[in-house]
Amino acid sequence: MVSARRLFLLLGGAALCAATFRAPLGAQQPTGTITGQVIDSATRQPLAGVNVVVEGTRLGAVTRDDGTFTIVGVPAGTRTVRARRIGYGSVPMVVNVSDGATVSVAFALEKRAAVLDQIVVVGYTTQRKSSITGAVSTVDAADVESRRVPDVAQALQGQVAGLAVTQSTGAPGEPISIRIRGEGTIGNNSPLFIVDGVPTRDISFLDPADVQSYTVLKDASAASIYGSRASAGVIVIVTKSGTSGKSNVSVNYYTGVQRATHLPTMLNATQYMNKMEEAWNNSGFTGTNPYTVAKAQGAVNGLPLGNTNWLDQLFTTGKSQNVQLNASGGSDKVRYLLSGAYYKQDGIVIYSNDGYQRYNFRTNINAALTSRFNVGTNLLLSYGNQDSLSSKGDQPGIIRHALIRPPVIAVYKDPADPTYSAKDPFTDLPFFATPWNNSNNRYEFGANPVALAYFTNNQRNQFKTFGNIFAEYTPLDALRFKSNLGIDLNLRHSKAFYRNFGDVNGVGSGLDVGTGRQNRPTSLNEDRGQETTVTWNNTLNYANTNPIHDLSALAGSEYITNYASGVGGSRARFDYIRENFQYLNYGGLIDQNTAGSASEWRLFSLFSSATYMYDTRYMITGNFRADASSRFASNHQWGYFPSVSVGWKISNEGFMQNVSWISDLKLRASTGKLGNQEIADYAFLTLLRSAGGQFLISRYGNPDLKWETTSQQDVGMDVGVLSNMLSLSLDYFVKKTSDILLPISLPSIVGNVSPTIVNAGEVSNKGFELGMNFKNNRGPVNYSISGNLGTVTNRVEKLHPNLPNIIGDVYRTAVGHPLGAFYGYLAEGIYQNQAEINSHLFGTVNPPDKPGDIKFKDLNGDGIINDNDRTFIGNPIAKVNYGFNMAADFHRFDVSVFFQGVGGVDKYNDAKQITDYDSRPFNHSIAVLGAWNGAGTSNTIPRTTFNDNGSSKKSSIFVEDASYFRLKNLEVGFSPVPTRRLYVSGQNLFTKTNYTGLDPESADPLDRGTYPQQKAFLFGINAKF
Amino acid sequence: MLASTLNLLNEWRWDLGTVFRDDFVVGDIASDDMKKKWNPDGDQPWMDQVQSFNFTSSNQAFNGQWTYDYEGISRANLAISYLSDAAITAKIAIDPALKNRLLGEVYFLRAFYYFDLVNNFGDVPLLLKPLQSFSDAYAVSKRETKANVYTQISSDLAQAKSLLPNSKYSDATDKWRASKGAALAMQAKVALYNQKWTDVISIVSELEGLNFYSLNSNYFDSFAVATEASENEVIFAYDHQSSQTPRKGNGLCAPLDWGFIAPTDNFLAEFEANDPRLLYTVDVPAKAVYKLLGSTNTVYRGNDDAPSNKIYIRLADVLLWKAEAYNETANYPAALLIINQIRNRARTSVSATGTTPPVGTLPDRTVSVDKAQIKGWLIHERRVELGFESQRFNDLKRWKIAEAVLTPAIGKNFKAFNYLYPIPQGEIDKSGGSITQNPGY
Repeated sequence: MVSARRLFLLLGGAALCAATFRAPLGAQQPTGTITGQVIDSATRQPLAGVNVVVEGTRLGAVTRDDGTFTIVGVPAGTRTVRARRIGYGSVPMVVNVSDGATVSVAFALEKRAAVLDQIVVVGYTTQRKSSITGAVSTVDAADVESRRVPDVAQALQGQVAGLAVTQSTGAPGEPISIRIRGEGTIGNNSPLFIVDGVPTRDISFLDPADVQSYTVLKDASAASIYGSRASAGVIVIVTKSGTSGKSNVSVNYYTGVQRATHLPTMLNATQYMNKMEEAWNNSGFTGTNPYTVAKAQGAVNGLPLGNTNWLDQLFTTGKSQNVQLNASGGSDKVRYLLSGAYYKQDGIVIYSNDGYQRYNFRTNINAALTSRFNVGTNLLLSYGNQDSLSSKGDQPGIIRHALIRPPVIAVYKDPADPTYSAKDPFTDLPFFATPWNNSNNRYEFGANPVALAYFTNNQRNQFKTFGNIFAEYTPLDALRFKSNLGIDLNLRHSKAFYRNFGDVNGVGSGLDVGTGRQNRPTSLNEDRGQETTVTWNNTLNYANTNPIHDLSALAGSEYITNYASGVGGSRARFDYIRENFQYLNYGGLIDQNTAGSASEWRLFSLFSSATYMYDTRYMITGNFRADASSRFASNHQWGYFPSVSVGWKISNEGFMQNVSWISDLKLRASTGKLGNQEIADYAFLTLLRSAGGQFLISRYGNPDLKWETTSQQDVGMDVGVLSNMLSLSLDYFVKKTSDILLPISLPSIVGNVSPTIVNAGEVSNKGFELGMNFKNNRGPVNYSISGNLGTVTNRVEKLHPNLPNIIGDVYRTAVGHPLGAFYGYLAEGIYQNQAEINSHLFGTVNPPDKPGDIKFKDLNGDGIINDNDRTFIGNPIAKVNYGFNMAADFHRFDVSVFFQGVGGVDKYNDAKQITDYDSRPFNHSIAVLGAWNGAGTSNTIPRTTFNDNGSSKKSSIFVEDASYFRLKNLEVGFSPVPTRRLYVSGQNLFTKTNYTGLDPESADPLDRGTYPQQKAFLFGINAKF
Repeated sequence: MLASTLNLLNEWRWDLGTVFRDDFVVGDIASDDMKKKWNPDGDQPWMDQVQSFNFTSSNQAFNGQWTYDYEGISRANLAISYLSDAAITAKIAIDPALKNRLLGEVYFLRAFYYFDLVNNFGDVPLLLKPLQSFSDAYAVSKRETKANVYTQISSDLAQAKSLLPNSKYSDATDKWRASKGAALAMQAKVALYNQKWTDVISIVSELEGLNFYSLNSNYFDSFAVATEASENEVIFAYDHQSSQTPRKGNGLCAPLDWGFIAPTDNFLAEFEANDPRLLYTVDVPAKAVYKLLGSTNTVYRGNDDAPSNKIYIRLADVLLWKAEAYNETANYPAALLIINQIRNRARTSVSATGTTPPVGTLPDRTVSVDKAQIKGWLIHERRVELGFESQRFNDLKRWKIAEAVLTPAIGKNFKAFNYLYPIPQGEIDKSGGSITQNPGY
């Protein structure tokens, strides 16, 4: 109440001032002069460029280099004089001006916390944070250093409101998805990265330790300067550069171990055999129950039953290490930085066939040739190698096989077994039974996951040269011309050798009779590709230094050209399997394949931007970009992307100057358009393919293909309290993507052709974002708390008349629902008795369902459960993403804690179908011990049987809440001397989730058994010399 | 597009029903002969829905069959447009005899696909030339009456018959190519499905008059990989071959190893005592469908690249059409003669176990002038002779006895509207509704 009343009085005061101002002034009014000096209260140094105004008049002056100022013609009387400068608190002084006299006044301005006044890297230039009117978030790389992750995308996880970062699986080197403000389109939703002015879509090559700062351009105002590639947002990265002065050398090393965070508890051998025996008995089979026999004998075919915990056998302790060296320094004229890094991780699956390593070398040089001419370069060489294994999915699905493989099978064969071989000692077909005989006495066909891991040999290499050279010329203080040439050169090489293994099962192609059933026949796939992107941009910047009419403007052009080509081949049936023979020419000629490809695209753009700020209070920014892309037909190549944003810095208003606890208050609003050109090259053309010697149309083109457009509105507010000790940023956005580049399938009557891409459909994302930062110190303890939270509601607004739904296995994209919503039957429980079945399925002839089967909701009430009873059963897009950091230091100790989480998201836990519900003789989790076994025994786990108990239907029973809250990081450091720091770091130490799969954190909404994120413990040292 | 080759359409799509041709689903599992699996578990539940007539228009069996047929038509249209283009044929200087033969083959194939489509779906879109642009696709997305499609089929078959060479094989090396005999047989089948009985008799007689085909002495020779080059009965089949690039093998042998395709008890009970055709069709204890494996052992079971052919038309089938036509035109002795000819061949075949069926097996049908009785014998004979050859469901529909046979008592829910399958829902959606649905769906 008090503050509200005060605000009212303030507003009243402002009105009074305005009234005074409008009063007619007499022609001969007595006037005086005010002079004085402004200094920094802390350094006592004079401050130049300070805006000194006499309140209630138009009079004012800007301080000179020595901090002095003079204002003449000030009407006599008691006047309030105010000195204002960016980055400093504003101070009023009351003076008495007499006619013809000079009064002197001294200001000592106190520096404000710089949080909201920093220089922010934005599109093609930098901007003072105070003048920014778009939705822009920055992350200082130093703040995420303690994340100890190899990938910059991981480093950004949980740091920025509205940014969702998910690794596709927990396997080393796996791709990471980043989404800014939700999923905007059916196609590509990955943001654009700009690294030192050079665009790229893949950021995995960059070492987070080489990064100085990240800027996330979220709304149309911030991102539209990147036009046609900005609809999914832009992340601008500036790498570290040297600073003038003493040379610095630093070393950072850490090493650590990883373990799986959470593994489900599976049945042991006894529980499994009991379960299978019961299933047999419940399935209406005739003859002897083979499980009963095997239980009694403790063996099958004379081979004793094992008791293997496959998850324990598959997962082991992973290791990682990282070393990073950095030398930097420079003179007045030349600054340099050199860095080198090596990262290596061996994953948590047994054997060393899941790993990732990366070598990075980087140089940065900046040289001032004259006082007005600078040149510089950043050049990065990177080599990444992923030992890739099947980290998700069904085939070969190593993780899935560890879940389903029965515990009664041993990992290794008995050497006495006639099929034992030292080269392939693994069990495969269970119990070496007679050839397949179609009954259910077999202990399942799934592969041995340990053998799968052992025989995996799939290398993916990426060599990358990335960098830029630039020249910058400043003909006038206010004018700067910059030319930047960037290159992104990639060489990719993948090589996978699929070595034949496993038991001979007497089937398969005639050429391969007598070989093992896995990877039959032995084959090698090898592919090489190269991709070169050259970017050349030229910009002209203007910035005046007028404190009242602050104007900056930018105009520029950009040309991007990309060429990619690839060649690959495969052969099968290798006589020798040793590494020296793992080359294509040693393979057989039957089933050999060769392939080659090339494609190119170009983009030419013109863009401009201008920001005008009046008296540090009112600001407006406009952007405009015109893009011409080769990806569209000639009559649709140009796309135009404008945006405008306005801001009102209320805290710089006169009436706010007495509200000392509010140090910053700004309102922002923006609107604009962004584009997306991320479709395949040549999408508008008709394509041919060659099939068995014939040339067939593989896709009909669409000559009218044009840009996908995202229009976005954002309103926001920045608040700083108590000298910005606490700062808050709040945004609400509405993002609507239309003319989506939508592949629509023609009716199959025209033959089997790929979908034609058309512009159709509309997707909206709406949400709130909150960022918060608090920094303080109590005595020797400095501490900070920062947090962020973003919500997003995703909705498909429109699709194409010829594409009412996009149908996937368990997904359906349809109007009114999120993209890729889960779709299936609604499970209602378990049928408890026959009467319940008969009444529920009154329209079904001879319902095969039995008491104990899963009961599905009969949505159309026809008494039949069929495809018409399916509906939307889950949301795959997280509604909430959040993170918060706490850090403190005290003398030589420091500690930081980072929590991250997502909420309002579902996953389709397909692995659960196997572990909890399946009616095949796979292993199950201990949840099945509570299976239905007579009326009233369970309403969640169906009966034990080898018949279909309803688990084959895609249903809500497998849709689980995959929200999680996770202690991502905890680091404690100790610095015996300021230049040495030792630390221990823990990752994923604690997770709260209701998800029953291996891990809730993976990008794929369909979880068939996914390589989990790991708990890690690291030890490291930083040293500076 | 008539192959059972796995993954012929490039993607492994169970959800679209395009992993292999779905003839066995829409023609056998839908009937009272075949079950999805020996032990019906939850795998591929869409096949169960066809089996029980509990499906909707989204069931991928229909989409699969439709897609394969129209892809075949699309390729045939392209070939016809090139082969009929004087500029192209002059430029490549194609031998006129070769051009005519190839044209004859593609006309036959187009007719074959359209026949399958009208039979399964009724009125269907009729496309006769390749599309020029993607917007053309919507102009042709409308159903043409079954009668008009039949007119086109007849015209294509007449063209095929006149263009194809007058020899058993169109090509001495590629014996699998569509031949004059195949065109004639297809004409007879079209006549049969339209109850033009006298046409059936005359066309089959014309076919017999060519003296290209005769019943094999052993029933299984039509199916056995070993006798593929030497047998006399097969008129049109898809010739699978192992180890070819691109693949040409029979992929259906792979799911046979996963427990797919099993006989119903009702089908097993249909066989008379000691009929050797039962074991040649399916070995119940070994759970082996020999007829589809192409061998009386399990050597090809699990081989996704097996050499066993997919038989579409063979003489025994054709002769039984003629028998049916004779019966319908009250020429009972002629009908019985053919039925007994088929029975005689069966009982004189050496069985899969190497023995000769005992005396008294499959006795000749006695003289009868009871049309209904003979029809009953014919129905029985076709079922056991042509079991698992994707004929049964079509026969039941043709005879209008599907409701009577596919009853709730055997777990089927066949209704009058099921005489036509639903147009695949995806096609209706993709056309924006200009392709309409069959009644009842």
